[in-house]
Amino acid sequence: MGNGARIYAKNSNMVARKIAGEMVLVPIRQSVGDLASIYNLNDIGGRIWELIDGKATAGQIKDRIVEEYEVAPEQAEADLTEFLSQLEHMKAVSPVTPVQSAS
Amino acid sequence: MDCEQIIELGYSEFSKRIHDKAAGNRIPINGGIDITSRCNLRCAHCYIEGTSTKEEHELTYEEICHIFDQIADEGCLWLLITGGEPLVRPDFSDIYRYAKRKGFIITLFTNGTLLTPRITDLLKDEPPFRIEISLYGITAATYERVTGVPGSFQRCMCGINLVLERKLPLALKTVAMTLNKHEVHDIRKYAESLGVKFRFDPIINAGLERTTGPLEVRLSPEDVVALELADEQRANEWREFCDSSLVISGSDRIYTCGAGSYNFHITSTGDIAECIIARRTKFSILGGKFHQGFYEAIPKVLAQKRTRYSECMSCPIINLCGNCAAHGELEHGDPEAKVEWLCQVGHLRVAAFKAGRPEAAKA
Repeated sequence: MGNGARIYAKNSNMVARKIAGEMVLVPIRQSVGDLASIYNLNDIGGRIWELIDGKATAGQIKDRIVEEYEVAPEQAEADLTEFLSQLEHMKAVSPVTPVQSAS
Repeated sequence: MDCEQIIELGYSEFSKRIHDKAAGNRIPINGGIDITSRCNLRCAHCYIEGTSTKEEHELTYEEICHIFDQIADEGCLWLLITGGEPLVRPDFSDIYRYAKRKGFIITLFTNGTLLTPRITDLLKDEPPFRIEISLYGITAATYERVTGVPGSFQRCMCGINLVLERKLPLALKTVAMTLNKHEVHDIRKYAESLGVKFRFDPIINAGLERTTGPLEVRLSPEDVVALELADEQRANEWREFCDSSLVISGSDRIYTCGAGSYNFHITSTGDIAECIIARRTKFSILGGKFHQGFYEAIPKVLAQKRTRYSECMSCPIINLCGNCAAHGELEHGDPEAKVEWLCQVGHLRVAAFKAGRPEAAKA
């Protein structure tokens, strides 16, 4: 996975709400999104959002998705990459730089 | 795995979908809260002014935050912050920020007179879905005849300008009454010149404790309908409504309007209510009892049945008059009572907006 080592953190200015069984992303600041549109995550999208914690790599998240859902690893990887790219574009997440351990 | 993990919906489509789901499952997605009953104005039509709620315990910041925690957990997404005048609270900014961080889609009702550069900068930084400012006149004389406070017109206009300068999502509205009916049209023109939404409400109800002061400035039913006829958009909305929504309720329930189904209101003392003016539930949610209030206390009120026959039960224009349990309670202390003034407004609306009047609507 090309970007499998990347780690993402949620933007604290985007709040995820579970409403009537649906996951919704609500921006706090205007720059984060446009309330003329609402970002609605589907079931797997909501699960990925939960797994983004600033520590897990994209590869680890993909592995959890493959474990929990009936999806081929290649498909999961492609979809996850696209999903993370969308979230990054919305400024809902941003990549974090892992702390380098001294060797 | 579905590759469309994010579905970007238009707001209307999203709102309708969630409301449909919430109505079917009775999820409290729509909430309102009076963060205070106090106000810096003394409006002639106000249903809170002169009531004892102003003297009672007002929710503290911590209590409001706890309420926000509870209603967010229960699924509230749309939150109306109102009062009283919300901005009389010195901790308004803290309350607003906390609400934003809970992920509510916020509408703020304000009279605009206490808006400052600091407050509007906060609203710019963390925008609400909408700010609705009440503008009671287009001249200082009329506006202040309504508000009873000299200098308040200038302060309201300053507040509107602060909001406009920051390009915040503003809507203007007014309550039409005897004191300002001659300026309602001009207020609309002013709103249109600014490019902001406008609506007027001609329905004035008695005060929360049956205080009758507001009724003294109520328009005559003829004036209500004349104003609606003069407003092209409003008139068209009523014509469409008359063509599609005249139904006989037939229900023996006191509450037939949908109050308390997926919406609720929290008073400035921490009671849960069915809606902003129907406050029969009188159940304190302080101490973490929102769930109990919404799922136990409100349904008990909504389940109440009429104890006597009412002509409203078989009236085909009940949707046109606005008669409801709250109005009966406020005006007569009896949720089953009909408010005659509303009934007259309803019949005049039929005459004005419906082609071919239904039999029961004839005088």
